[in-house]
Amino acid sequence: MGKSFDLNLVFDFLPKLLSYLHITLLILVGAVLIGLLVGFLAALPRIYNIPVLRTLSAIYVSFIRGTPILIQLFLVYYGLPELLKTIQIDVTHMSSLVFVIITYGFSIGALFSEIIRAAVSAVDRGQTEAAYAIGMTPIAAFVRIVLPQALTIAFPNFANLVISYLKDTSLAFYIGVMDMTGRGQTLGTATNHFLEVYISLAIIYYAVCILLEKCFSLLETRMLRYERQFPVSQ
Amino acid sequence: MNIDFRFIVTAFFEIMKALPLTLVITTVPLLIGFAIGIGTALIRLYKVKVIYKIADFYVSFLRGTPLILHIYIVYLGLPLLFDVLAEKWGWSIRSNSIPLIVFVFVAFSLNAGAYMSEIIRSGILAVNKGEIEAAYSIGMTTSQAMKRIVLPQALMISLPNLCNMFVGLLHGSSLAFSISLMELNGKANVVASTNWKFLESFIAAAVIYWGMTILAEKVTAILEKRLRMFIKGGVA
Repeated sequence: MGKSFDLNLVFDFLPKLLSYLHITLLILVGAVLIGLLVGFLAALPRIYNIPVLRTLSAIYVSFIRGTPILIQLFLVYYGLPELLKTIQIDVTHMSSLVFVIITYGFSIGALFSEIIRAAVSAVDRGQTEAAYAIGMTPIAAFVRIVLPQALTIAFPNFANLVISYLKDTSLAFYIGVMDMTGRGQTLGTATNHFLEVYISLAIIYYAVCILLEKCFSLLETRMLRYERQFPVSQ
Repeated sequence: MNIDFRFIVTAFFEIMKALPLTLVITTVPLLIGFAIGIGTALIRLYKVKVIYKIADFYVSFLRGTPLILHIYIVYLGLPLLFDVLAEKWGWSIRSNSIPLIVFVFVAFSLNAGAYMSEIIRSGILAVNKGEIEAAYSIGMTTSQAMKRIVLPQALMISLPNLCNMFVGLLHGSSLAFSISLMELNGKANVVASTNWKFLESFIAAAVIYWGMTILAEKVTAILEKRLRMFIKGGVA
Protein backbone atom coordinates (compact mmCIF):
# COMPACT_ATOMS: atom_id res chain seq x y z
CA MET A 1 0.00 0.00 0.00
CA GLY A 2 1.09 3.57 -0.05
CA LYS A 3 1.71 3.98 -3.76
CA SER A 4 -1.05 5.17 -6.03
CA PHE A 5 -3.26 2.72 -7.85
CA ASP A 6 -2.04 1.74 -11.31
CA LEU A 7 -4.45 -0.16 -13.51
CA ASN A 8 -1.74 -1.23 -15.98
CA LEU A 9 -0.03 -3.20 -13.26
CA VAL A 10 -3.13 -5.41 -12.95
CA PHE A 11 -2.47 -6.64 -16.47
CA ASP A 12 1.28 -6.87 -15.89
CA PHE A 13 0.67 -9.18 -12.96
CA LEU A 14 -1.71 -11.50 -14.81
CA PRO A 15 0.95 -13.61 -16.65
CA LYS A 16 3.18 -13.71 -13.56
CA LEU A 17 0.36 -15.08 -11.45
CA LEU A 18 -0.90 -17.41 -14.17
CA SER A 19 2.45 -19.21 -14.17
CA TYR A 20 1.50 -20.49 -10.71
CA LEU A 21 -1.96 -21.63 -11.71
CA HIS A 22 -0.77 -25.22 -12.08
CA ILE A 23 0.03 -25.40 -8.34
CA THR A 24 -3.49 -24.24 -7.51
CA LEU A 25 -4.94 -26.81 -9.90
CA LEU A 26 -2.61 -29.50 -8.55
CA ILE A 27 -3.96 -28.90 -5.05
CA LEU A 28 -7.50 -29.03 -6.36
CA VAL A 29 -7.07 -32.20 -8.42
CA GLY A 30 -5.11 -33.97 -5.69
CA ALA A 31 -7.71 -33.04 -3.11
CA VAL A 32 -10.61 -34.13 -5.30
CA LEU A 33 -9.01 -37.53 -5.94
CA ILE A 34 -8.36 -38.12 -2.24
CA GLY A 35 -11.81 -36.72 -1.51
CA LEU A 36 -13.53 -39.17 -3.85
CA LEU A 37 -11.81 -42.12 -2.17
CA VAL A 38 -12.43 -40.86 1.37
CA GLY A 39 -15.96 -39.84 0.46
CA PHE A 40 -16.86 -43.31 -0.76
CA LEU A 41 -15.32 -44.98 2.27
CA ALA A 42 -17.16 -42.60 4.60
CA ALA A 43 -20.46 -42.95 2.76
CA LEU A 44 -20.60 -46.76 2.68
CA PRO A 45 -21.11 -47.36 6.44
CA ARG A 46 -23.98 -44.90 6.43
CA ILE A 47 -25.55 -46.30 3.27
CA TYR A 48 -25.40 -49.89 4.60
CA ASN A 49 -26.09 -48.88 8.21
CA ILE A 50 -23.02 -50.50 9.74
CA PRO A 51 -23.02 -49.77 13.50
CA VAL A 52 -20.03 -47.98 15.11
CA LEU A 53 -18.51 -47.15 11.71
CA ARG A 54 -21.71 -45.27 10.90
CA THR A 55 -21.32 -43.13 14.02
CA LEU A 56 -17.64 -42.50 13.33
CA SER A 57 -18.45 -41.40 9.81
CA ALA A 58 -21.21 -39.11 11.08
CA ILE A 59 -18.83 -37.48 13.57
CA TYR A 60 -16.20 -37.02 10.86
CA VAL A 61 -18.69 -35.33 8.54
CA SER A 62 -20.10 -33.16 11.32
CA PHE A 63 -16.62 -32.03 12.37
CA ILE A 64 -15.58 -31.07 8.86
CA ARG A 65 -18.84 -29.24 8.25
CA GLY A 66 -18.57 -27.56 11.64
CA THR A 67 -15.10 -26.03 11.42
CA PRO A 68 -13.57 -23.51 9.01
CA ILE A 69 -11.19 -24.92 6.43
CA LEU A 70 -8.43 -22.68 7.75
CA ILE A 71 -8.68 -24.24 11.21
CA GLN A 72 -8.61 -27.69 9.61
CA LEU A 73 -5.50 -26.66 7.72
CA PHE A 74 -3.76 -25.53 10.90
CA LEU A 75 -4.85 -28.68 12.74
CA VAL A 76 -3.38 -30.96 10.08
CA TYR A 77 -0.26 -28.85 9.71
CA TYR A 78 0.54 -28.91 13.41
CA GLY A 79 -1.20 -32.16 14.37
CA LEU A 80 -0.24 -34.63 11.66
CA PRO A 81 3.52 -34.53 12.36
CA GLU A 82 2.81 -35.11 16.08
CA LEU A 83 0.49 -37.98 15.27
CA LEU A 84 2.96 -39.61 12.89
CA LYS A 85 5.78 -39.19 15.38
CA THR A 86 4.05 -41.71 17.63
CA ILE A 87 4.45 -44.35 14.92
CA GLN A 88 8.06 -43.33 14.26
CA ILE A 89 7.50 -41.48 11.01
CA ASP A 90 9.28 -38.19 10.67
CA VAL A 91 7.57 -35.71 8.38
CA THR A 92 9.34 -32.53 9.42
CA HIS A 93 10.83 -32.20 5.96
CA MET A 94 7.65 -32.92 4.06
CA SER A 95 6.52 -30.16 1.73
CA SER A 96 3.62 -28.09 3.04
CA LEU A 97 1.93 -28.77 -0.29
CA VAL A 98 1.35 -32.34 0.88
CA PHE A 99 -0.34 -31.10 4.06
CA VAL A 100 -2.61 -28.87 2.04
CA ILE A 101 -3.62 -31.65 -0.34
CA ILE A 102 -4.29 -34.02 2.55
CA THR A 103 -6.37 -31.44 4.45
CA TYR A 104 -8.41 -30.44 1.45
CA GLY A 105 -8.81 -34.09 0.45
CA PHE A 106 -10.28 -35.02 3.81
CA SER A 107 -12.36 -31.87 3.93
CA ILE A 108 -13.82 -32.43 0.48
CA GLY A 109 -14.24 -36.15 1.28
CA ALA A 110 -16.67 -35.44 4.10
CA LEU A 111 -18.90 -33.33 1.88
CA PHE A 112 -18.62 -35.86 -0.95
CA SER A 113 -19.79 -38.60 1.37
CA GLU A 114 -22.92 -36.56 2.13
CA ILE A 115 -23.58 -36.03 -1.58
CA ILE A 116 -22.98 -39.69 -2.42
CA ARG A 117 -25.23 -40.83 0.42
CA ALA A 118 -28.04 -38.53 -0.70
CA ALA A 119 -27.63 -39.60 -4.33
CA VAL A 120 -27.69 -43.31 -3.54
CA SER A 121 -30.86 -42.93 -1.53
CA ALA A 122 -32.37 -40.97 -4.42
CA VAL A 123 -32.04 -43.99 -6.72
CA ASP A 124 -35.30 -45.90 -6.84
CA ARG A 125 -35.27 -48.94 -4.55
CA GLY A 126 -36.90 -50.95 -7.36
CA GLN A 127 -33.63 -50.78 -9.27
CA THR A 128 -31.82 -52.77 -6.59
CA GLU A 129 -34.72 -55.20 -6.35
CA ALA A 130 -34.75 -55.71 -10.10
CA ALA A 131 -30.99 -56.35 -10.03
CA TYR A 132 -31.46 -58.97 -7.31
CA ALA A 133 -34.34 -60.51 -9.26
CA ILE A 134 -32.10 -61.23 -12.23
CA GLY A 135 -29.57 -62.80 -9.87
CA MET A 136 -26.96 -60.09 -9.30
CA THR A 137 -24.95 -60.17 -6.11
CA PRO A 138 -25.33 -57.18 -3.78
CA ILE A 139 -21.93 -55.86 -4.87
CA ALA A 140 -22.71 -56.22 -8.58
CA ALA A 141 -26.09 -54.56 -8.06
CA PHE A 142 -24.46 -51.65 -6.28
CA VAL A 143 -21.55 -51.18 -8.66
CA ARG A 144 -23.36 -51.84 -11.93
CA ILE A 145 -26.87 -50.54 -11.31
CA VAL A 146 -27.13 -48.13 -8.39
CA LEU A 147 -23.78 -46.37 -8.52
CA PRO A 148 -23.86 -45.19 -12.14
CA GLN A 149 -27.31 -43.69 -11.57
CA ALA A 150 -26.27 -42.17 -8.26
CA LEU A 151 -23.23 -40.53 -9.85
CA THR A 152 -25.43 -38.86 -12.45
CA ILE A 153 -27.66 -37.49 -9.69
CA ALA A 154 -24.67 -36.42 -7.60
CA PHE A 155 -22.82 -34.71 -10.42
CA PRO A 156 -24.20 -31.14 -10.20
CA ASN A 157 -23.55 -31.00 -6.45
CA PHE A 158 -20.14 -32.50 -6.99
CA ALA A 159 -19.34 -29.80 -9.54
CA ASN A 160 -20.44 -27.02 -7.17
CA LEU A 161 -18.27 -28.46 -4.45
CA VAL A 162 -15.20 -28.60 -6.68
CA ILE A 163 -15.70 -24.97 -7.67
CA SER A 164 -16.09 -23.86 -4.08
CA TYR A 165 -12.90 -25.70 -3.14
CA LEU A 166 -11.05 -24.03 -5.98
CA LYS A 167 -11.71 -20.78 -4.17
CA ASP A 168 -10.69 -22.27 -0.83
CA THR A 169 -7.29 -23.30 -2.22
CA SER A 170 -6.44 -19.59 -1.95
CA LEU A 171 -5.90 -20.21 1.78
CA ALA A 172 -3.01 -22.60 1.22
CA PHE A 173 -0.49 -19.78 1.42
CA TYR A 174 -1.20 -19.49 5.15
CA ILE A 175 1.02 -22.51 5.73
CA GLY A 176 3.55 -21.34 3.19
CA VAL A 177 2.52 -22.97 -0.07
CA MET A 178 3.53 -21.12 -3.21
CA ASP A 179 0.27 -21.34 -5.08
CA MET A 180 -1.25 -18.49 -7.04
CA THR A 181 -2.23 -16.51 -3.95
CA GLY A 182 1.13 -17.25 -2.33
CA ARG A 183 2.89 -15.89 -5.39
CA GLY A 184 0.58 -12.88 -5.18
CA GLN A 185 1.77 -12.21 -1.64
CA THR A 186 5.42 -12.19 -2.67
CA LEU A 187 4.64 -10.13 -5.75
CA GLY A 188 2.81 -7.63 -3.55
CA THR A 189 5.68 -7.41 -1.11
CA ALA A 190 8.19 -6.94 -3.91
CA THR A 191 6.30 -4.23 -5.75
CA ASN A 192 4.26 -2.72 -2.92
CA HIS A 193 1.19 -2.86 -5.14
CA PHE A 194 -0.99 -5.29 -3.19
CA LEU A 195 -4.34 -4.00 -4.41
CA GLU A 196 -3.42 -4.55 -8.07
CA VAL A 197 -2.17 -8.05 -7.26
CA TYR A 198 -5.43 -8.97 -5.56
CA ILE A 199 -7.53 -7.59 -8.40
CA SER A 200 -5.42 -9.59 -10.82
CA LEU A 201 -5.92 -12.70 -8.71
CA ALA A 202 -9.66 -12.10 -8.56
CA ILE A 203 -9.79 -11.94 -12.37
CA ILE A 204 -7.93 -15.25 -12.69
CA TYR A 205 -10.04 -17.05 -10.10
CA TYR A 206 -13.19 -15.76 -11.73
CA ALA A 207 -12.04 -16.93 -15.17
CA VAL A 208 -11.09 -20.37 -13.89
CA CYS A 209 -14.43 -20.66 -12.08
CA ILE A 210 -16.37 -19.82 -15.23
CA LEU A 211 -14.28 -22.22 -17.28
CA LEU A 212 -14.84 -25.04 -14.79
CA GLU A 213 -18.54 -24.29 -14.72
CA LYS A 214 -18.77 -24.51 -18.51
CA CYS A 215 -16.82 -27.80 -18.56
CA PHE A 216 -19.03 -29.29 -15.86
CA SER A 217 -22.23 -28.29 -17.61
CA LEU A 218 -20.97 -29.90 -20.84
CA LEU A 219 -20.12 -33.06 -18.92
CA GLU A 220 -23.52 -33.01 -17.28
CA THR A 221 -25.42 -32.93 -20.55
CA ARG A 222 -23.25 -35.84 -21.72
CA MET A 223 -23.95 -37.82 -18.59
CA LEU A 224 -27.67 -37.24 -18.92
CA ARG A 225 -27.83 -38.48 -22.53
CA TYR A 226 -29.28 -41.83 -21.47
CA GLU A 227 -32.06 -40.24 -19.46
CA ARG A 228 -34.90 -40.52 -21.91
CA GLN A 229 -37.42 -37.73 -21.90
CA PHE A 230 -40.86 -39.20 -21.90
CA PRO A 231 -43.57 -37.12 -23.54
CA VAL A 232 -45.83 -35.81 -20.80
CA SER A 233 -49.35 -37.16 -21.23
CA GLN A 234 -52.08 -34.60 -20.75
CA MET B 1 2.38 -37.84 21.27
CA ASN B 2 2.70 -34.86 23.53
CA ILE B 3 -0.50 -32.93 23.66
CA ASP B 4 -1.09 -30.78 26.69
CA PHE B 5 -4.74 -31.54 27.36
CA ARG B 6 -4.99 -29.11 30.23
CA PHE B 7 -3.81 -26.35 27.98
CA ILE B 8 -6.65 -27.08 25.57
CA VAL B 9 -9.06 -26.14 28.37
CA THR B 10 -7.08 -23.00 29.23
CA ALA B 11 -6.92 -22.04 25.55
CA PHE B 12 -10.63 -22.76 25.17
CA PHE B 13 -11.58 -20.16 27.78
CA GLU B 14 -9.00 -17.72 26.48
CA ILE B 15 -10.23 -18.01 22.89
CA MET B 16 -13.87 -17.91 24.00
CA LYS B 17 -13.34 -14.22 24.85
CA ALA B 18 -13.22 -13.53 21.11
CA LEU B 19 -16.56 -15.22 20.46
CA PRO B 20 -18.65 -12.01 20.77
CA LEU B 21 -16.56 -10.34 18.05
CA THR B 22 -16.90 -13.37 15.80
CA LEU B 23 -20.66 -13.33 16.30
CA VAL B 24 -20.81 -9.62 15.50
CA ILE B 25 -18.85 -10.00 12.26
CA THR B 26 -21.08 -12.96 11.39
CA THR B 27 -24.53 -11.54 12.14
CA VAL B 28 -24.13 -7.93 10.99
CA PRO B 29 -23.02 -8.96 7.47
CA LEU B 30 -25.77 -11.59 7.52
CA LEU B 31 -28.40 -8.89 8.05
CA ILE B 32 -26.91 -6.38 5.59
CA GLY B 33 -26.33 -9.20 3.10
CA PHE B 34 -29.95 -10.22 3.53
CA ALA B 35 -31.12 -6.76 2.50
CA ILE B 36 -28.72 -6.72 -0.45
CA GLY B 37 -29.79 -10.24 -1.32
CA ILE B 38 -33.52 -9.43 -1.46
CA GLY B 39 -32.84 -6.30 -3.53
CA THR B 40 -30.57 -8.12 -5.97
CA ALA B 41 -32.90 -11.09 -6.25
CA LEU B 42 -35.90 -8.86 -7.08
CA ILE B 43 -33.87 -6.84 -9.60
CA ARG B 44 -32.81 -10.02 -11.34
CA LEU B 45 -36.26 -11.61 -11.24
CA TYR B 46 -38.03 -8.55 -12.63
CA LYS B 47 -35.18 -7.86 -15.06
CA VAL B 48 -35.05 -4.14 -14.17
CA LYS B 49 -33.47 -2.39 -17.15
CA VAL B 50 -29.67 -2.11 -17.20
CA ILE B 51 -29.28 -2.63 -13.44
CA TYR B 52 -30.08 -6.31 -13.76
CA LYS B 53 -26.98 -6.79 -15.90
CA ILE B 54 -24.93 -5.19 -13.14
CA ALA B 55 -26.69 -7.35 -10.57
CA ASP B 56 -25.96 -10.47 -12.64
CA PHE B 57 -22.30 -9.59 -12.83
CA TYR B 58 -22.13 -8.74 -9.13
CA VAL B 59 -23.56 -12.11 -8.14
CA SER B 60 -21.47 -14.13 -10.55
CA PHE B 61 -18.21 -12.30 -9.85
CA LEU B 62 -18.51 -12.44 -6.07
CA ARG B 63 -19.45 -16.10 -6.23
CA GLY B 64 -16.51 -16.78 -8.52
CA THR B 65 -13.76 -15.29 -6.38
CA PRO B 66 -12.42 -16.31 -2.96
CA LEU B 67 -13.62 -14.50 0.16
CA ILE B 68 -10.04 -13.76 1.20
CA LEU B 69 -9.61 -11.63 -1.92
CA HIS B 70 -12.81 -9.72 -1.14
CA ILE B 71 -11.41 -8.87 2.28
CA TYR B 72 -8.06 -7.76 0.88
CA ILE B 73 -9.54 -5.75 -1.98
CA VAL B 74 -11.99 -3.94 0.29
CA TYR B 75 -9.29 -3.41 2.91
CA LEU B 76 -6.90 -1.86 0.39
CA GLY B 77 -9.34 -0.37 -2.10
CA LEU B 78 -11.95 1.23 0.13
CA PRO B 79 -9.54 3.71 1.76
CA LEU B 80 -8.34 4.85 -1.67
CA LEU B 81 -11.90 5.37 -2.83
CA PHE B 82 -12.83 7.04 0.42
CA ASP B 83 -9.97 9.51 0.26
CA VAL B 84 -10.76 10.45 -3.32
CA LEU B 85 -14.38 11.09 -2.37
CA ALA B 86 -13.39 12.90 0.82
CA GLU B 87 -11.18 15.26 -1.13
CA LYS B 88 -13.85 15.89 -3.71
CA TRP B 89 -16.65 16.63 -1.27
CA GLY B 90 -14.47 18.19 1.38
CA TRP B 91 -15.16 15.69 4.19
CA SER B 92 -13.16 16.30 7.31
CA ILE B 93 -12.44 12.61 8.03
CA ARG B 94 -9.82 10.58 6.21
CA SER B 95 -9.64 6.85 5.58
CA ASN B 96 -7.17 6.14 8.36
CA SER B 97 -9.87 6.87 10.91
CA ILE B 98 -12.11 4.10 9.58
CA PRO B 99 -12.12 1.29 12.16
CA LEU B 100 -10.87 -2.12 10.97
CA ILE B 101 -14.17 -3.83 11.57
CA VAL B 102 -15.88 -1.68 8.92
CA PHE B 103 -13.79 -3.29 6.18
CA VAL B 104 -14.82 -6.70 7.40
CA PHE B 105 -18.46 -5.63 7.47
CA VAL B 106 -18.29 -4.29 3.93
CA ALA B 107 -16.42 -7.29 2.49
CA PHE B 108 -18.59 -9.89 4.21
CA SER B 109 -21.84 -8.07 3.45
CA LEU B 110 -21.02 -7.85 -0.25
CA ASN B 111 -20.06 -11.52 -0.26
CA ALA B 112 -23.12 -12.61 1.71
CA GLY B 113 -25.39 -10.46 -0.46
CA ALA B 114 -24.28 -12.28 -3.61
CA TYR B 115 -24.82 -15.73 -2.13
CA MET B 116 -28.08 -14.76 -0.45
CA SER B 117 -29.56 -13.27 -3.58
CA GLU B 118 -29.28 -16.72 -5.17
CA ILE B 119 -30.83 -18.36 -2.12
CA ILE B 120 -33.75 -15.91 -2.04
CA ARG B 121 -34.22 -16.08 -5.80
CA SER B 122 -34.56 -19.83 -5.72
CA GLY B 123 -36.93 -19.47 -2.77
CA ILE B 124 -39.15 -17.03 -4.68
CA LEU B 125 -39.13 -19.27 -7.75
CA ALA B 126 -40.19 -22.19 -5.57
CA VAL B 127 -43.38 -20.43 -4.48
CA ASN B 128 -46.36 -21.64 -6.43
CA LYS B 129 -47.34 -19.25 -9.22
CA GLY B 130 -50.97 -19.64 -8.20
CA GLU B 131 -50.22 -17.78 -4.98
CA ILE B 132 -49.37 -14.55 -6.74
CA GLU B 133 -52.26 -14.98 -9.18
CA ALA B 134 -54.63 -15.42 -6.24
CA ALA B 135 -53.16 -12.26 -4.66
CA TYR B 136 -53.75 -10.32 -7.88
CA SER B 137 -57.28 -11.66 -8.21
CA ILE B 138 -58.27 -10.24 -4.83
CA GLY B 139 -56.86 -6.90 -5.95
CA MET B 140 -53.40 -6.71 -4.42
CA THR B 141 -50.71 -4.69 -6.12
CA THR B 142 -47.46 -6.37 -7.16
CA SER B 143 -45.56 -5.01 -4.18
CA GLN B 144 -48.31 -6.03 -1.77
CA ALA B 145 -48.42 -9.52 -3.25
CA MET B 146 -44.64 -9.76 -2.98
CA LYS B 147 -44.47 -8.48 0.58
CA ARG B 148 -47.48 -10.25 2.04
CA ILE B 149 -47.76 -13.46 0.06
CA VAL B 150 -44.65 -14.47 -1.85
CA LEU B 151 -41.71 -13.31 0.29
CA PRO B 152 -42.88 -14.87 3.59
CA GLN B 153 -43.23 -18.22 1.88
CA ALA B 154 -40.02 -17.83 -0.09
CA LEU B 155 -38.04 -17.02 3.05
CA MET B 156 -39.38 -20.05 4.81
CA ILE B 157 -38.46 -22.28 1.91
CA SER B 158 -34.95 -20.83 2.00
CA LEU B 159 -34.56 -21.14 5.77
CA PRO B 160 -32.21 -24.18 5.64
CA ASN B 161 -30.09 -22.40 3.04
CA LEU B 162 -30.03 -19.25 5.15
CA CYS B 163 -28.77 -21.34 8.06
CA ASN B 164 -26.03 -22.67 5.79
CA MET B 165 -25.26 -19.07 4.93
CA PHE B 166 -24.88 -18.25 8.62
CA VAL B 167 -22.55 -21.20 9.08
CA GLY B 168 -20.65 -20.21 5.94
CA LEU B 169 -20.17 -16.69 7.27
CA LEU B 170 -19.20 -18.00 10.69
CA HIS B 171 -16.48 -20.08 9.06
CA GLY B 172 -15.61 -17.25 6.70
CA SER B 173 -15.13 -14.93 9.66
CA SER B 174 -12.02 -16.97 10.46
CA LEU B 175 -10.38 -15.05 7.60
CA ALA B 176 -10.86 -11.68 9.27
CA PHE B 177 -7.65 -12.30 11.20
CA SER B 178 -5.77 -11.71 7.93
CA ILE B 179 -6.33 -7.99 8.45
CA SER B 180 -5.40 -8.48 12.11
CA LEU B 181 -8.87 -8.46 13.62
CA MET B 182 -8.89 -10.45 16.86
CA GLU B 183 -11.79 -12.85 16.29
CA LEU B 184 -11.74 -16.54 17.23
CA ASN B 185 -9.07 -17.53 14.75
CA GLY B 186 -6.96 -14.44 15.37
CA LYS B 187 -7.17 -15.06 19.10
CA ALA B 188 -6.26 -18.72 18.56
CA ASN B 189 -3.18 -17.65 16.63
CA VAL B 190 -2.15 -15.28 19.40
CA VAL B 191 -2.73 -17.87 22.13
CA ALA B 192 -0.83 -20.40 20.01
CA SER B 193 2.21 -18.29 19.37
CA THR B 194 2.54 -16.73 22.82
CA ASN B 195 2.43 -20.15 24.52
CA TRP B 196 4.12 -22.03 21.69
CA LYS B 197 1.27 -24.55 21.74
CA PHE B 198 -0.21 -24.46 18.26
CA LEU B 199 -2.06 -27.75 18.08
CA GLU B 200 -3.77 -27.29 21.45
CA SER B 201 -4.99 -23.80 20.57
CA PHE B 202 -6.40 -24.80 17.23
CA ILE B 203 -8.13 -27.82 18.75
CA ALA B 204 -9.79 -25.44 21.21
CA ALA B 205 -10.79 -23.09 18.38
CA ALA B 206 -12.13 -25.99 16.32
CA VAL B 207 -14.28 -27.12 19.26
CA ILE B 208 -15.79 -23.63 19.56
CA TYR B 209 -16.58 -23.39 15.84
CA TRP B 210 -17.98 -26.90 15.83
CA GLY B 211 -20.19 -26.16 18.83
CA MET B 212 -21.48 -22.96 17.27
CA THR B 213 -22.28 -24.75 14.01
CA ILE B 214 -24.20 -27.52 15.76
CA LEU B 215 -26.07 -24.92 17.80
CA ALA B 216 -27.02 -23.01 14.65
CA GLU B 217 -28.29 -26.19 13.01
CA LYS B 218 -30.37 -27.11 16.07
CA VAL B 219 -31.92 -23.63 16.29
CA THR B 220 -32.80 -23.73 12.60
CA ALA B 221 -34.41 -27.14 12.97
CA ILE B 222 -36.64 -25.82 15.77
CA LEU B 223 -37.48 -22.66 13.81
CA GLU B 224 -38.29 -24.67 10.74
CA LYS B 225 -40.63 -26.93 12.66
CA ARG B 226 -42.50 -23.94 14.08
CA LEU B 227 -42.66 -21.96 10.86
CA ARG B 228 -43.71 -24.91 8.77
CA MET B 229 -46.78 -25.61 10.85
CA PHE B 230 -49.14 -24.05 8.35
CA ILE B 231 -47.63 -25.81 5.35
CA LYS B 232 -49.04 -29.16 6.38
CA GLY B 233 -50.61 -30.93 3.46
CA GLY B 234 -53.64 -33.25 3.53
CA VAL B 235 -56.94 -32.63 5.22
CA ALA B 236 -56.29 -33.13 8.92
